[in-house]
Amino acid sequence: MNPQFIMDGLIAGALIGLGAIGVTLTYSILRFANFAHGEFLSWGAYLALAISGSIGFLSANLTKPIAPFSFGWSLPIAALLAVLLTGVLALALDAVLFGRLRSRGGAVIILVMASFGASLALRSLLEFLFTSKPAYYTKALQIAVRLGGGLRATPDQLLVLGVTLVVVIAIHLLLTRSEIGRSMRAVSENPALAGIAGIDVRRIIRFVWFIGAALACIAGIMTGLLVQIRPYLGHDLLLPLFAAAILGGIGSVPGAMIAGLIVGLSEAAAVQLVGAEWRAAVSFVILVLVLLLRPRGLFGRPA
Amino acid sequence: MSLDLVAYGAFFLTMALTYAVMCLGLNIQWGQTGLFNVGIAAFVAIGAYVSAILTTPDTPDRLGGFDLPIAVGWLGGACAAGVAAWFVGALTIRLRSDYLAIATFGVAVTVQLCVLNLQPLTGGPFGIGFIPRPFNSLAGDPLAFGLANLALMAALVLVLYLALQHLAKSPWGRVLRAIREDEVAAQALGKRPIRFRLQAFTIGGAIMGLAGAAQGHFIGFIAPDNYLPILTFQVWAMLIVGGSGNNRGAILGAIIVWGIWALSAAAVSAFVPPEQQARAAALQIVMIGVGLCLILLLRPRGLVGERRSMLSLGRGRKS
Amino acid sequence: MTAAVRPTPALATQALVAGYEPDLPIVRGVDLSVAAGELLVLLGPNGAGKSTLVKAIAGVVPIHGGTVSIGGRDITRLPAHRKISEGLAFVPQTENIFGTLSIHENLQIAAAVLPREKRAARIAAMYDRFPDLAVKPARLAGSLSGGQRQMLAIARALMVDPQVLILDEPSAGLSPRIVAEVFAMLTDINASGVTVVLVEQNVKAALAIASRAVILVEGKIRHEGSGESLQNDPILARLYLGTGQTMKADRS
Repeated sequence: MNPQFIMDGLIAGALIGLGAIGVTLTYSILRFANFAHGEFLSWGAYLALAISGSIGFLSANLTKPIAPFSFGWSLPIAALLAVLLTGVLALALDAVLFGRLRSRGGAVIILVMASFGASLALRSLLEFLFTSKPAYYTKALQIAVRLGGGLRATPDQLLVLGVTLVVVIAIHLLLTRSEIGRSMRAVSENPALAGIAGIDVRRIIRFVWFIGAALACIAGIMTGLLVQIRPYLGHDLLLPLFAAAILGGIGSVPGAMIAGLIVGLSEAAAVQLVGAEWRAAVSFVILVLVLLLRPRGLFGRPA
Repeated sequence: MSLDLVAYGAFFLTMALTYAVMCLGLNIQWGQTGLFNVGIAAFVAIGAYVSAILTTPDTPDRLGGFDLPIAVGWLGGACAAGVAAWFVGALTIRLRSDYLAIATFGVAVTVQLCVLNLQPLTGGPFGIGFIPRPFNSLAGDPLAFGLANLALMAALVLVLYLALQHLAKSPWGRVLRAIREDEVAAQALGKRPIRFRLQAFTIGGAIMGLAGAAQGHFIGFIAPDNYLPILTFQVWAMLIVGGSGNNRGAILGAIIVWGIWALSAAAVSAFVPPEQQARAAALQIVMIGVGLCLILLLRPRGLVGERRSMLSLGRGRKS
Repeated sequence: MTAAVRPTPALATQALVAGYEPDLPIVRGVDLSVAAGELLVLLGPNGAGKSTLVKAIAGVVPIHGGTVSIGGRDITRLPAHRKISEGLAFVPQTENIFGTLSIHENLQIAAAVLPREKRAARIAAMYDRFPDLAVKPARLAGSLSGGQRQMLAIARALMVDPQVLILDEPSAGLSPRIVAEVFAMLTDINASGVTVVLVEQNVKAALAIASRAVILVEGKIRHEGSGESLQNDPILARLYLGTGQTMKADRS
């Protein structure tokens, strides 16, 4: 077996892990599986595309690739704005849809259903705005560098791994060391007690929406950079994200990241062993195994 | 001219009734039991493909083609989908309510992948053609053919409707309702909620499979594209418009939503220039998605209305 | 000893109606007035609505009618976390600590309501008052014993220096020795000037420390009196044996 699959799996796994952290955080605080989470990846990718396109239109200088990467300054600038806008999108969705359903005190599954409707609308809206034709941030080609051990990676791919590492550590520190992270963990364990203890639960919920969407946006942009941008980008990643969030244990950030890498590596191995056309089934197999053997996941609390 | 219109009307209604069958299946799972299935398309596809493989004539480039009677195909399709539903249910129903949703979503992805890639069995992206159609001897006369098929489908819907109504009033249906109202109390009475939920989910899945088989035989051709997530979505929209928990509403919702869908699709192809049609179709889906959310927000009882609000559904359940 | 009528009670409810479902109120019109410095015990048979009443006051159960006020300020519509800063602290009966957080984090959460510069001192004050907690502050609260959990829950509630402290059956599930400890502590807290409202099933122990007791039946106040006077009142025995019909004659 070609060892290169390890590099491919790590990169795919890093992106899945990043998205899964968003899923696991929103799931643990909001207490429902958000089927619209995948659309935050797609919207993030397209928002960055539109913004970086506009920047390039204003100043061609900013699209000149920053060596050794394939993109110019327009993309990181656009990424920053896209992260903010995707966060705003999530907050808006909560304000008009989920928040209202929540305050009515209905069953969890109504929220799941609403997220299902929202995901379809959001995805098709992208298809309407940008058509289903794949898009790219840059046309520049990149040459993979040898890393030794038979592994190769492009500078963009290495950057993605680096950014993921930094973001994951930052989120982990935020959650374990900061006041708002402490409050998030408290709300996740017991929202009613959190309110009694003086935590503004609605503020925490808004914060978590924002963080989850921001992480999704970063994952979406990096997927778009390494592969391509399509309206189905996020939808196709949704099952791997759920599989990783559940495998890692709902609420666990390190769990989601490690599980993301496991899913990514398994997918890459499956591509080698049974063929690329079965890649999407890997997440399902993992999901079934987790639900069968250890429904609370690797690092989850017992239900 | 008017005969053409009648023939078209029969075709339209027959299609709508195949959706009504799916909707009845979903109503057992969601309306009666509160189980959220995001993989309707998968169960419909399983029914359609199994029935097609059982009933098509022997084909050289594909495994199977057993040339069995259509009724056997329908039954086989329903059973296969029921078994799949049982498997997913057994795996997840004892867990959190949304794990079932995630698992059924996974089933939808995986079944789509299987029908695309198991080319020797399913014909891959090209699908399966020459599926025997009921009343094929009448095919020369579109009107008679259409009306005969409509009568068959109407009979199927009627039989299912009566059976499901009977089931809902039976002791089994009462236990199901009791579990939905108050799981703890039902448990105290010695009823095992998980078993009843699993049974309901399996029956619902089997009915969806039956719908897939019936639809496949009516059209005579199936392909993976017929079973995309949008199908799941349409069936949901139908049940919600009709008002969940209500079998008559499920049938009515199917006809209304299919009517709106067919009309707007016809409008798109008539008025939108060809190069913009994909975009217009996307907008059509946006509207259905927004519509579903609006109904959840504004008319949680569905347009037709029902005794109980969906919002109180499953309130007794944990998580 | 009857409760003196004061112009502004520490805690008061007027015609309070509350319950999980709007069409099924469990608390059905309660007028309660607790004077500053009182230690009030809420008694009543199972299902009388004692617990729902205090949860509604604390903002955990929806209020459908009537008002709640602290020191004369209306707090009916405030969300739970804002009631803290109005001087109301609540200790629920179960799940009253964050088990997945450490002892210290539990206290930090409560201290976050205070101005930043006061937090450390206030947490240190709590460790002084509850030395058991100071032994190993990094310990996960979920691993504490029943008595220690109750201490932590009370410490958390006291963090904000409340005017009114409400506790929902703090003795539930504790051994008699620990119950005695908890009740002694509540007497102390009360003596330091905090108004205490206590929901209890442990009637004898509660009445022994109560300055006044109120009996709730079917969501309404049916009887009240001083702790001592109620101790020997036959009404209590009848109440807890449970027939509502015999109550009518005793309506106060």
